[in-house]
Amino acid sequence: MKTITLTVKKKSQIALEFDELIPDKVFTWEKADFENYQVPVGNRRFPLTDYFDIEVEGTAEGPEEVKMILEGDCGRVKYIGSKMEAGEIIVNGNADLHCGAEMKGGKITVNGNAESYAGREMEGGELEIMGNTREFCGCSYIGDWRGMSGGKIILHGNAGKQLGECLSGGEIYVGGDCDILAGIHMNKGFIQIDGDVTRWPGGQMKNGNILIKGKLGILLEGFVYDSIVVDPEIDGKSFSGKYIKYNGDIAVNGKGNLYLNAEKNREYL
Amino acid sequence: MMEYILKNGIVYDPANNIAGEKKDVMFKDGKIVDNVSSDAKVLDVTDKIVMPAGIDPHAHVAGPKLVVGRIYRPEDSRKGVTSKTDVCRSESGFSIPSCPATGYRYSRMGYGTVTEAAMPPLEAKHTHEEITAIPNIDIAPLPLFGNNWFVLQWAKEGKIDEIAAFVASWLRITKGYGIKIVNPCGTEAWGWGGNVHGIDDPVPFFDVTAREVVRALAQANEMLGLPHSIHIHPNDLGHPGNYPTTVNTLDCVKDIEKSSGLRNQTVHLTHAQFHSYAGTSWRDVESGAKEVADYINKNKHVTCDIGQITLDETTTMTADGPMEFDLHQLNGLKWANKDIELETGSGIVPFIYSGRAPVPSFQWGVGLELFMRIKDPWQVCLTTDHPNAGPFIRYPRIISWLMSAERRQEMMDNLEVRVWSYKRTGLGTLDREYDFNEIATITRASAAKIYGYQDRGELTPGYNADIAVYDLNPNTIDPSKEPAAIEKAFGNAMYTIKDGQILVKDGEVVKVVPSHTLWTNVQGFEEQEKAVMEEVMPRFRRYYTVKFENYQVQDHFTPNPIVTDVQAGK
Repeated sequence: MKTITLTVKKKSQIALEFDELIPDKVFTWEKADFENYQVPVGNRRFPLTDYFDIEVEGTAEGPEEVKMILEGDCGRVKYIGSKMEAGEIIVNGNADLHCGAEMKGGKITVNGNAESYAGREMEGGELEIMGNTREFCGCSYIGDWRGMSGGKIILHGNAGKQLGECLSGGEIYVGGDCDILAGIHMNKGFIQIDGDVTRWPGGQMKNGNILIKGKLGILLEGFVYDSIVVDPEIDGKSFSGKYIKYNGDIAVNGKGNLYLNAEKNREYL
Repeated sequence: MMEYILKNGIVYDPANNIAGEKKDVMFKDGKIVDNVSSDAKVLDVTDKIVMPAGIDPHAHVAGPKLVVGRIYRPEDSRKGVTSKTDVCRSESGFSIPSCPATGYRYSRMGYGTVTEAAMPPLEAKHTHEEITAIPNIDIAPLPLFGNNWFVLQWAKEGKIDEIAAFVASWLRITKGYGIKIVNPCGTEAWGWGGNVHGIDDPVPFFDVTAREVVRALAQANEMLGLPHSIHIHPNDLGHPGNYPTTVNTLDCVKDIEKSSGLRNQTVHLTHAQFHSYAGTSWRDVESGAKEVADYINKNKHVTCDIGQITLDETTTMTADGPMEFDLHQLNGLKWANKDIELETGSGIVPFIYSGRAPVPSFQWGVGLELFMRIKDPWQVCLTTDHPNAGPFIRYPRIISWLMSAERRQEMMDNLEVRVWSYKRTGLGTLDREYDFNEIATITRASAAKIYGYQDRGELTPGYNADIAVYDLNPNTIDPSKEPAAIEKAFGNAMYTIKDGQILVKDGEVVKVVPSHTLWTNVQGFEEQEKAVMEEVMPRFRRYYTVKFENYQVQDHFTPNPIVTDVQAGK
């Protein structure tokens, strides 16, 4: 087991890019390797030691034996754990854009907030965010119609707009509230939101499931009432309580399901 | 400039009937020469393949729809990203590369000249600006005439002189090389929410048919004696059962007499693969490649390029607006549509040609079947209609397919392409394999001939020193057995030399030079042109949103022109 601890000593105004510092690439690295490493900052590179104190303990045979701990506020560190396939990254602070983007395996924990595009195009593994995240969590790359396809995002705080845009697999759990258009263009997978939702979940969704435990602001017109279900089982998971089930989005001939907590949303009954 | 001698290469120069002969190629001051002095720098290319630099007769590399494609497909731009080097800027994009990347990538394949196959006259300035941003390759843009309001009107009235004068003027105004026709009457019909479904289907309002338009433009082309013939994308692209339309389109100009001695054809059919389908729908579609190839084999007034499917994810873009709408309906992906006032239109749709799907497999088979069935390599060129059937960087892969029947069979056997590739086409029964000389013909010599180029495409003394060297020994390699080696070598030229300058060495771009714009200047038709401009201008002022002064391409848009002067009617 190898533990790599990077402690923030200086914050950059321009974001650092960490996509090269993932367990898959650094599992053989010694302390000296990190000290020699130049991290991309904007269109230049600077020594990693300018920004971090580095500690390396133990050895690893492969990336799965690596635990990277980022101590301090990484609110200007982009691409943390991007494209990682194994191992673990813990951020004890905030994370900047694209945290866990295109992640294929392993686990990332952010003990703080994550900026937009967390878990973009994620294919596997687990991304857990203890705080909030912003727009396009678990989404596609801009312009693409293929979003997150596997793995799991666990978000304990609130999510921004267009959560799980173009979702085509995997699952997203949101403990807090969610802004507009969760699951827009989704065609597979599962989104669970425990808190309140501003409006329009499932816009243009083709398939998949969205479950909302909190209160919904405005339902999109493309969803048609199906039935009242009690203690539904969705994607092999059981939920207790009474839910209003809708189908949609009929604007795109969608066959998706939207479950809305009946108690919190009495006006829809 | 220095003198060079490429020593001991194995030369393929089809225009001079040199097919695999061990000899030296010499050049001086940017031109091929017979002999050089003893000071000449020697480049040892012993037993390597030496050919004229490649010429792509049909691609979409510059112009407004490329820009729209780049803007609306950021997901494509992030592929193929490289860092800048001492010589090159950073590259981006796969199917719609950035302008510098387009130049570098053609250079790496040993190419020197490309035709931008669809330039809307109204957007010609922009096209030329983009050409100046593409280094290392010379570009000949073809302005679109097949749906132009003036042309439609005169075609209906049978006024060929006026069309000829208009074409002559517009080639000069737009700095274009020749006449391009895309879905004649169909793109104009799309402005009315429709399409035309064959060459005898009239377009709304103008009430003229594709047959009349194509014939009129072909007659005008020969009246002027342009170096290139009409360059046509017929009606019904990509629709099952379209091959009779294709054959009828080619046949309708058969009686028109050729005036230019530089070329053999009077009509060039582009991306023939998309126009060679039989059947009535995608349920019962069959290949029509045999019929189209038979027609081409029997008729010397026709040349074609293929538009070979490469089995990639790409971006389709064409002035055939209604076809793009059909495509968007088919795959449900995003769609951009544009009307160019009075002139043409266009559409853009991303497309995934997956070997796991029946239709792309079928199209892959049809393209290769055409390559196999067209007997005379001087009548066919290798293209992917970049980026429509796939990006141009796949040419080396297509070469490997053409040279290896075994590889094609393997792809069909192990389901890299689905069963439609051989059940619905004749490809499974064809075991022809191209040799290096035929490859040299379809990738450079035939294209040069078709365009009437007199300064490139051959290793004749006096011609531009545009030369490609590939790291292959034709005496020891068996292309049939080693397709991967063929693909690698043709994708990474050992040397690409252009105008006597070494641009690529061992697959790396080592020098970047500005590109040239090739355009055709018709002379001796000034009186007719003046008369026709007097007829055009009132309508131009009334209907165009730009002033004529802002419409013309001024000289500074083409800083490095290569002008082909043509005496009208000679």
